[in-house]
This record gives sequence, structure tokens and C-alpha cells, in this order.
Amino acid sequence: MKLWVTVAFVALTSVVRAEVLLSEDEIQQTLSFGPWPPPIQPDPSNRGSNDPRAIALGAALFDDPVLSIDGALACASCHNPEQAFTTLDPRAFGRVLLDRNTPSLRNLAGLRWYGWGGKSDNLWAASLHPIIEEQEMAHSKESLKRAISESPYVNDFEDIFGDIESQNPELVLVKIAKALSAYLETLVTERTQFDDFRDALERSDLAEAANYPEAAQRGLQLFLGRGNCAFCHNGPRFSNNEFHDAGVPYFLSKTKVDEGRFGGLNFLLSSPYTLDGDWTDDLEKQGAWAVRNVRRSHSDFGIFRTPSLRGVVETAPYMHDGSLDALDAVVRHYSEIDTERLHADGEAVLSELNLTGQEITDLVAFLETLSSATRP
Amino acid sequence: MIRWLVWFLASSGAAIACEATGQRMSTETQNAPAVHVAVDEIPLAQPFSILLTVCGETAVSEMRVDAVMPAHQHGMNYLPVVTAIGDDVFRIDDMLFHMPGKWELQVDVEYNGQTVSYTSDLALK
Repeated sequence: MKLWVTVAFVALTSVVRAEVLLSEDEIQQTLSFGPWPPPIQPDPSNRGSNDPRAIALGAALFDDPVLSIDGALACASCHNPEQAFTTLDPRAFGRVLLDRNTPSLRNLAGLRWYGWGGKSDNLWAASLHPIIEEQEMAHSKESLKRAISESPYVNDFEDIFGDIESQNPELVLVKIAKALSAYLETLVTERTQFDDFRDALERSDLAEAANYPEAAQRGLQLFLGRGNCAFCHNGPRFSNNEFHDAGVPYFLSKTKVDEGRFGGLNFLLSSPYTLDGDWTDDLEKQGAWAVRNVRRSHSDFGIFRTPSLRGVVETAPYMHDGSLDALDAVVRHYSEIDTERLHADGEAVLSELNLTGQEITDLVAFLETLSSATRP
Repeated sequence: MIRWLVWFLASSGAAIACEATGQRMSTETQNAPAVHVAVDEIPLAQPFSILLTVCGETAVSEMRVDAVMPAHQHGMNYLPVVTAIGDDVFRIDDMLFHMPGKWELQVDVEYNGQTVSYTSDLALK
């Protein structure tokens, strides 16, 4: 009996002691990371968007090697659904070792740019390029049309998109990509411990909010303040979806560099598959303003798109080249960043933080609450 | 920094004294026409528009608009689009602030071949 009273007293004490550590200003900033999930908004550039038949066809094609020229690779080979739609490899391995880490495919609906270098301004174009990229699926437009025509998917394709034989191969390619895109739009990370905290703050339910671990709260305070993380990792997806120099080397070898956004823009601006092109289904060309008005700069060289932090525990290794194997390595990278590696004429956002061991632990504790899964 | 240049016809004659709304922009040029900026809530990392009103008796022949983040030494990643929607009112579309913090709106207005520069601070949380 005495023991139970002691346990009850200790538990009561811990409840009373738990509190919200954030200032009013930090609470207001925290609200900007939600609500989650975001409302579903169909993609006007893709008639298949939000269409259950297109979603089902896209899901089936995603897992099927019919989308590679020799049946060797499916989308799921690199974007493994069991591993948060990425792999554990630092750099993607298609037919050869590629230059970048495989990005996860969740929370992609409605972004302004896709890929580490932002070479696509819409999800169906981002789905299309790997199918015809020689180092990945390696189909030609003609071979893809033939493969779909001879596959079990031809009836589903024709139910959605019409007779395949009367369509030119490029149109078939775009429609396959749009079916894939319709499926990918449905991949959304689940609500997390952070979302419960954020929503409790919005309701001014501080008792509920106080259930959020204090280490994570301290990490969030660093994220919003001295860490400078929220300059780029902002909004409900924890990404401004723009391009930044994170101080990660972009030399692939002594003679080759990863051009990052510079190369992405070269690709984008010569692509027929943009929101400003002829393949969009949106007559109003909403969203085309970005590709029309995007600025070019020599500091685009070697900068990369800010990745979302939702589900980040599940998507190691990190950075555009997969060079950091764990979240604490990422935090240490920014804490000890070598500012000599940053563009001399680039943005002045990052500086050495000199975080303590406790602060690094707190930041990682916060980042872990952005995932519904625990660290693998 | 490269700035986008927009030309438009000043066919509707000189700008005149006006009932401007919004914040008056600063300029170091003596006796320059007033320019006011009206902006609703600015969304973070999403495109937005502002209205610029020029109050003066001299026709505007050219306007350049940009914004920078002085603390971070960078500007916007997109070229804003300037549209004259009245004798003295201009809508600026496709502005996008991709980071929270203090931004400086920079507007160059050309009157009779003379350029006057204006600035105004905009805070984004």
C-alpha cells in the first residue's frame, strides 16, 4: 500500500512538472507547421489526379518491372514501400550507381519543384523522366507503348485514357506518368506526436501539449531559434521547397561535379513536360508562373532542394548524396559546418553553431517526433 | 543583383495626386513623388501580390521591383511581374519570400528619364 502511494505521488509530481516550454512567439511559429495532413487538392495539370482508376493503375505499375525496358527494374526497386519509398543505400543504384540519394516519395502532392535539382515542376513529369532515363528504366517512348499494349494493364489503361493503338507513343508515356503521379499523390505520412502537440497548442490545451517530451520541446526551440533550421525547413512539410547550399561537397570525382539546381534548371527550361508546356491538362496553366519566372544565378551551382523532414527517421541516409548516415550526424554537420565550403557569394544563413551534446540530443529528439515510426 | 525590368505604356498620362493605401515607401531623393505599398498577409514560401500606388504629377515610364533579405544577402528566386492597373496603381504578382524574417522591398521608378529608388521593410514570421 505504501509503495502504491509512493508511485502515485511520483507520477502526480511528474504530471505537475510537465509543462510547455515554448514562448508565445515560439508557439505561433510552431502553429505554422500544420495542420496535418493537408487538404487534398487535385492536380489540375493531370486529369487522372484523384481518379480511383488512375490511382489503382499507377499503384500497380509502380510495383511492376514492365516500366523498365528489360523488365529488370520497377519504381519500387529503388523507392521501396517497405523503406519509406527509398532505400538504405547512400546513392541510388539504377542500372549504374547514380549520383544522388533516392528521395522518399511521400508528401509530394502540390509541390513547386521535384527532385534534388528541381528539374520538374510537376509530379507527372518527375514520374516520367526515370522511365526514359538511360541509367534508370531506359524505355523509349515506342518500347513503353509496346510494353503496355502487351501487358495485363492495357484494358485498365484504355478504360481511363482511351484506345492505346490510336495514340502516339509520347502521349502514352505522358498518360502512364500521370497514372503514376495520381498514385504518388496518395502517399502521405501519418500524423505524428508533433502534430498532436501542435494541435493542442492551437486549441490552447496546454495540459495536453505538456505531454510532448521536454527534450523534443528544447529541440524545437533550437530548431526555431539558434539552429536557424526553420529558415529553410518551414511550413507543414518542413520544407520551403527551394534550393540551398548545405555545405555538402558536390564534387563527384576530381573532374566531375553535381551541378545541383544549375543542372536542374537547364533540364527544366528545355523540357516539354512543364506546367507551361503542351502536355498539361490545365488550360489555365496554373502553377506555370514558377517555370516562367524562375531566376537563374551562378550560385545555383551545387545547391539542392530542401527535403521535407516529415518521416525523416525512416529515410536515412541523408543529404543529396546520402553521405550522412544518421540524424545526429546531420545535426553535427550543421553544428560544425565548414563555412569555407559555402558559396562565397551565396546566402549567409549557415554558421557554426557549436551545439553541446545535450543540444544535439534534443534536436534529434525533436526530429524523431516528426515521424510516426520510431528509429529503425 | 539582376533585376527584372518591366516596360509599359504610360499612355494614360501623368500620375496625379491620389488616395493611396498602405505603407509609404522610403526614398533618399528630395521632393520625389510618394509611393505607397499595400500588402495583405504574406504567405511563407508561397506566391503573393502587392499593390503599389504612385502619387505625383509626373508620368511613370518604367518600374522595377525586387526584394532582398539583407541579413542573409539573398533576394527572391523569381522575377515579379508588374502590371499597370490604373493611372497610378500597379499590381506586382509572383512575389515569393521563401524564408521568414525581414525583407526589404526595393522599387525603382523612372519619371522623365530620372530613376528614383524606394525601399520598404516587410516582416514575415
